[in-house]
Amino acid sequence: MTEPTPESSQSTGLVRRRRALVAISCCAAAIVAIIVLGVVLSENVLYFQTVSEAVRDRSEQGTDRLRLAGEVVPGSVTETARGVRFEVTDGKTTAEVVHRGDPPDLFEDAATKEIPVVCEGHWGSGEAFASDRILIRHGNEYKPPKVDQDGAEEPK
Amino acid sequence: MKAFVGVFALALGTVSSVFGVIVLGLGLKKRDERMLELGRRFVFGVLAAAVLAFLAMEWALLSHDFSLEYVYENNARATPLLYTIAGLWANLEGSIILWALVLAGYLAFAARRFRDRSTDPLVAWATLVGLAVALFFFALMLGPANPFKTLSPTPSDGLGPNPLLQNHPLMAIHPPMLYLGYVGFTLPFSFAIAALATGRFGEGWLADIRRATLIAWGFLTVGIILGGWWSYEVLGWGGYWAWDPVENASLLPWLTGTAFIHSVIVQERRGMLRVWNLSLVIATFSLTILGTFLTRSGVLDSVHSFTESPIGPWLLSFLAVVAAVGIGLIAWRGDRLRAPGRIDSPVSRESAFLGNNLIFAALAFVVLLGTVYPLLAEALQGRQLSVGEPYFNRMTTPLGLVLLFLMAVAPALPWRAASGEVLQRRLLVPAWIGGLTMVVALLLGTNGITDSVTFGLAAFALAGIARQMVVGARAQGRANGVAWPAATLRAIRSNPRLYGGLIVHTGIVLIAIALVASSSYSTRREVRLTRDNTVNVSGYSLTYLGSRITDTKQKVTVHARIRVERDGDALGVLTPAISSFPGRTSGIGTPAVKTGIVRDLYLTLVSSPTERERVTVGVQVNSMIVWLWIGGGVVALGTLVALMPSLRRRSQRDPLGADDAEPRVLEGASA
Repeated sequence: MTEPTPESSQSTGLVRRRRALVAISCCAAAIVAIIVLGVVLSENVLYFQTVSEAVRDRSEQGTDRLRLAGEVVPGSVTETARGVRFEVTDGKTTAEVVHRGDPPDLFEDAATKEIPVVCEGHWGSGEAFASDRILIRHGNEYKPPKVDQDGAEEPK
Repeated sequence: MKAFVGVFALALGTVSSVFGVIVLGLGLKKRDERMLELGRRFVFGVLAAAVLAFLAMEWALLSHDFSLEYVYENNARATPLLYTIAGLWANLEGSIILWALVLAGYLAFAARRFRDRSTDPLVAWATLVGLAVALFFFALMLGPANPFKTLSPTPSDGLGPNPLLQNHPLMAIHPPMLYLGYVGFTLPFSFAIAALATGRFGEGWLADIRRATLIAWGFLTVGIILGGWWSYEVLGWGGYWAWDPVENASLLPWLTGTAFIHSVIVQERRGMLRVWNLSLVIATFSLTILGTFLTRSGVLDSVHSFTESPIGPWLLSFLAVVAAVGIGLIAWRGDRLRAPGRIDSPVSRESAFLGNNLIFAALAFVVLLGTVYPLLAEALQGRQLSVGEPYFNRMTTPLGLVLLFLMAVAPALPWRAASGEVLQRRLLVPAWIGGLTMVVALLLGTNGITDSVTFGLAAFALAGIARQMVVGARAQGRANGVAWPAATLRAIRSNPRLYGGLIVHTGIVLIAIALVASSSYSTRREVRLTRDNTVNVSGYSLTYLGSRITDTKQKVTVHARIRVERDGDALGVLTPAISSFPGRTSGIGTPAVKTGIVRDLYLTLVSSPTERERVTVGVQVNSMIVWLWIGGGVVALGTLVALMPSLRRRSQRDPLGADDAEPRVLEGASA
């Protein structure tokens, strides 16, 4: 179906130069692509931190977004005009969270139970962590997310 | 009893695959045709075993036999019939039964199709590889993921499936579709390994698995779209795709598989890209295994991670073996894989295909990196993190736009080299239509340049497809003197592969438009409503009429009744709901969706009615979502057309018109 193209000796030099050009531009494109990839990736990484880690790294974290993992302190939930305010703890450190939007239904049990949550947001200008998304792990419901001694959820 | 039948079936499957592999291996070594003929028959033993295991589990589920641990965990007496049947794929162990059944089905299909060539070493090798894969999955079920484990004493009732898995009927078809896609890529993989093993890596093996690849690809596409639909109708966040690891796991083999069905055409036509095609097939199969590993071993956090199980190391080892065998064989055959052809001009069909393949490979890399980066970071840095959606969106959007452009241009490019005159004749009008659409979109004030470019390229591609169809139909009409509907059908029948491909492209363009429209022109608000009180949100007025509670054995559901009007027209009463399932802590929301051609109104019950009869309702207006599902349907239709046998049976010279329904033995080294 295919036949090799005959190459005259004159055109080999030209072909070789063209090939080199193609190879160089491919390398350049690949390098640019890798840099773009690295930059975009590092800009969009969300660190997952326990309350202790988050409070410790607060100054260097600035207002970058992160996921804060802990348990809701029973009875700490109060309603605000735009959502709820509550405290999360990992057993060692406790932080206040101001959440915009309604909390998941699971919060109805928050007066009595310690509910494991992951809050997504950033440290605000005030004391509290400003959250706009609360994740509750679905996982396998017969074994609710485990909380080890440090209070951190075990990586799944 | 059921456990006994089940374990017997698993043992039968294991033994059949072991014997099949041994007999075929010996037959190949001794060049003994009788042994090859015998070895092929073990495939049907594997099929019988898989059917038996499937029936045993369904029987146990239907009879609520809680002496089986799997039934206890994924079924309850109150589980409705549909979700009882679907319970087989609600969890890991059962899913592997389905996986084995689908795999055995594909292997038997291939064994039957190539029954006249059972002594052909290529077919024998492919059967051997297929049986080896089957052996792995049967061994998995006999060992660490045994679905027929028993419990003693027998509990009186089961726990029921995960609430998310018993809340929408799509659950009954989405996983089987996905599995038909995933597992279907085993056939191309086994033929690729067979081609490498026999040294016949010409175009013969590609022709043999063309249909199987298309079938697998079609199922995978439909499975992914149904998954998005399920997510939209069940999860209640109003979206259909969240770059969740499980979603990515299904997208990755789709990307490499799509690259493969394009690059195959270049090899068929020009004999080029041999190593690349073999690599793509092996990569696609490896990615299905990697996806299963990522989602089923629990290494990644995911909303889908319904199970954590000890099969991780097994899958990882299997993946390592697959990758090592694939790469090793390619390296071993490397010197003989040199392609006889080469690209003559950068403006030609083959370079467009090459560009398409590079973009698909880049997309696969971007998605793979984003998916496994959390694992790498945790291993290297010891920090837990997740990669946010903006990474995926920002990286995939430009690549997607290039693909859209190629889709508009490539079908019009001739092979080898394009002359300016041909390009002008074929592309000028579509390009003008695309350009005008882009300008109009910009003037109408679309959100940002990306959207306008997408709409412009979509119009460019659609116009090109329409032109090609009209030209084809007109030629048939003139040649046969028939009116245009008959001429169109004749054109399609004469070259189903080409027109099927164009129909698939149409579906993809619709999906691209829907993706952009839904992500740019959707709004979300949350409103608090008290009884009989009306609010206006995004052009709709919503009135809360009160709530209603239904109580079945399966679940207790609170429905909020909300009357919807738009511009004075009553649109009916929507009832978003929250259900709670016995024994489960969190409630599961069920959104209420009013689907329209231009926009959907999507209501979710964020919090159930309080004592003061106040509810919080999430109100979303999503643009053009329905076109995602319509586009999926068009893609499925196009795939079916491409699978039709061609009327031009003998025109084997032109692969775009070639039909490979008849088995033919091509010697590999065509050069």
